[in-house]
Order: sequence, then structure tokens, then C-alpha cells
Amino acid sequence: MNKIIALLFLLVNFSNLKIASTQLTTNQGQVSFFSYTSVENIEAKNNQVLSVVDLSKNEIAISMLMNAFVFKKALMQEHFNESYIESDLYPKAVFEGEILDFDPTVTTPQIKLIKGILTMRGIAKEVEVKTNITMENNAYVFTGTFDLVVKDFDINIPPLLVPNIAKTIAAKFRFEYPTDEK
Amino acid sequence: MKNYLKIPYLLVLLALSVVVFLFFRINSNHKDTSKNQSISAPQLVHLFVTNEVAANTIYKSKLVEVEGVVKKVNFLNGRITVFLNGVSTSSVLCDMTKSQLKVAKKLKKDQKVKLKGVCKGFLNDVIMLNCTLINSKHQ
Repeated sequence: MNKIIALLFLLVNFSNLKIASTQLTTNQGQVSFFSYTSVENIEAKNNQVLSVVDLSKNEIAISMLMNAFVFKKALMQEHFNESYIESDLYPKAVFEGEILDFDPTVTTPQIKLIKGILTMRGIAKEVEVKTNITMENNAYVFTGTFDLVVKDFDINIPPLLVPNIAKTIAAKFRFEYPTDEK
Repeated sequence: MKNYLKIPYLLVLLALSVVVFLFFRINSNHKDTSKNQSISAPQLVHLFVTNEVAANTIYKSKLVEVEGVVKKVNFLNGRITVFLNGVSTSSVLCDMTKSQLKVAKKLKKDQKVKLKGVCKGFLNDVIMLNCTLINSKHQ
């Protein structure tokens, strides 16, 4: 009887461990974007992006505060938050998607496609992003780049500033999900 | 004195009143907000977890002084990040300025610290940027 109880206890704990370890989280993901034009280059970085990867379902979720993007020039940051992104009205951007054909047991680098929905300024858009997945120091590292079309998110740019902002913004990301952290 | 001669004096008096009023108003607001914006890390996290909208109204984009216990310090992606114990799995995530590298390296887990920075809002943690250490002491 005691053996059965011990076995049950082990089984319950093992299954809990397994469930817990399939969801990996980072609260220090990095997302940056670049706008290149002949007039000026604009770059901003957010180092506090939250992301969860569910290895059992190959799902990924990302959430970021739009006002946590840091620009080189304070005025650019002000315009971004107040005029373009309206971060008081739309404080967060969210992405939810699926990592296609991802095998978490593979420790060699893999290039996979993530398909999902990006919601920014209250507008949801289907997005496909190619990501490079590697294992570094007991952490899954997801890196990649993708393009965002300004018009897709209904961002109003004053006619005077149109030449300063690219129509397509290049975005870059890096998420490091430690496997040994609670 | 004729009435029209009084007008410049009245205008000067009015302008002075406006200046004095604005001076006291700005200063009184400043005192009030600085008083409200010193808080413990668990209390700050609790406020955001229970009512994010209300907490944002008080703290978002404001300079906040936070007192708490160091959970961990890391240097991921070239950033200096200090985590303060909050509530459950949520912490106060403090992105330190570059000038804080030396002091941040000396911080130990469970050390009591006070720091200030600009509160940006809440994801799973309360996010604070441009943070600097005000003082620190070992528990």
C-alpha cells in the first residue's frame, strides 16, 4: 500500500514538473525597430518584453509596453508615444502565434516559421515571422527580423513628416527563455 | 487718478496674481505627487495586480521611489537589471542607467535597497526605466 502511495506521489510530482517545464517565460525580451529614410534614421529598443513559449503546444505569446521603447532623441520618443502609437490609448502590443514544425528536443539551431496575430493600436494583423532557434546556456534563444507596414496599423503621420518616416519599418527581436528558472 | 491711467496698474497686478497662483499651484502639485510616489515594491506590484488602470493613473510615466528587497540582478542584452521582490511571481523590474554598473554589481540577493526611476506600467512585472540607486543596506 505504502509503495502505491509513494508511486502515486512521484507520478503526480513528475507530471506537475513536466507541465511546469513546458512553459518557458522571459520578461527581458528585446524588440527593436528601425526606420531608414534619406532624411533621417530612427531606431528604438524595448528591453522589457514579456514572452511565454509553450513547448508542448508550440505556441508563443508576446506582450510589450509601447511606452517602454527607448529612442536616442527624446523628441522622437515623444512623437512616437503621443502622435503615432498613441500609447496612452493603446499601451500594449500583443502577439500570439504558433511555431510551425518546432521540435524542442532538437538542440542544434533550427529555422522555423511563426504564424500568428499581431495586435497593435487595437488593430489585429496576421503576421508570419521566420525565427532562428538555438540552445545557449540552458536557454532557448529565438532571434529574427520582420517588416511592418506603417499603413497596416492606421498610424497617422503629418504630411510634413512623411519623408522622415519609412513606409516599412524593420523590426528585430531576441528572446532568451531559460529552461532552469522558475 | 483717471480711470484709463489705472489700467496698466491693474494689468500688472493681474499678471502678478497669475504668476503667484501658478507658482503655488505647481509647487503644491509637486509636493503631493512626490509624497504619493514613494512606495514599497510589494505594495506597488499589488496595486498593479489588483487594479492596473488605477495604478497606471497614479504611477505611469512618473518618477517613483521604490523600496524593496533584491530578488536578482542580471546583465542580459547589455542592460543592468535589478529585480525587487513583489507579490507571487511578479516583481518590480528596474532597468538601471549605465552609471549604476559599479553599484549594481555589488548588490546581493535579499539586500534591502531604495531606488528611483520612471514607471512605465505593468506586464507580468512593474516596469521601471532609468533607475538609480538611492541607498542600500544589508538586511
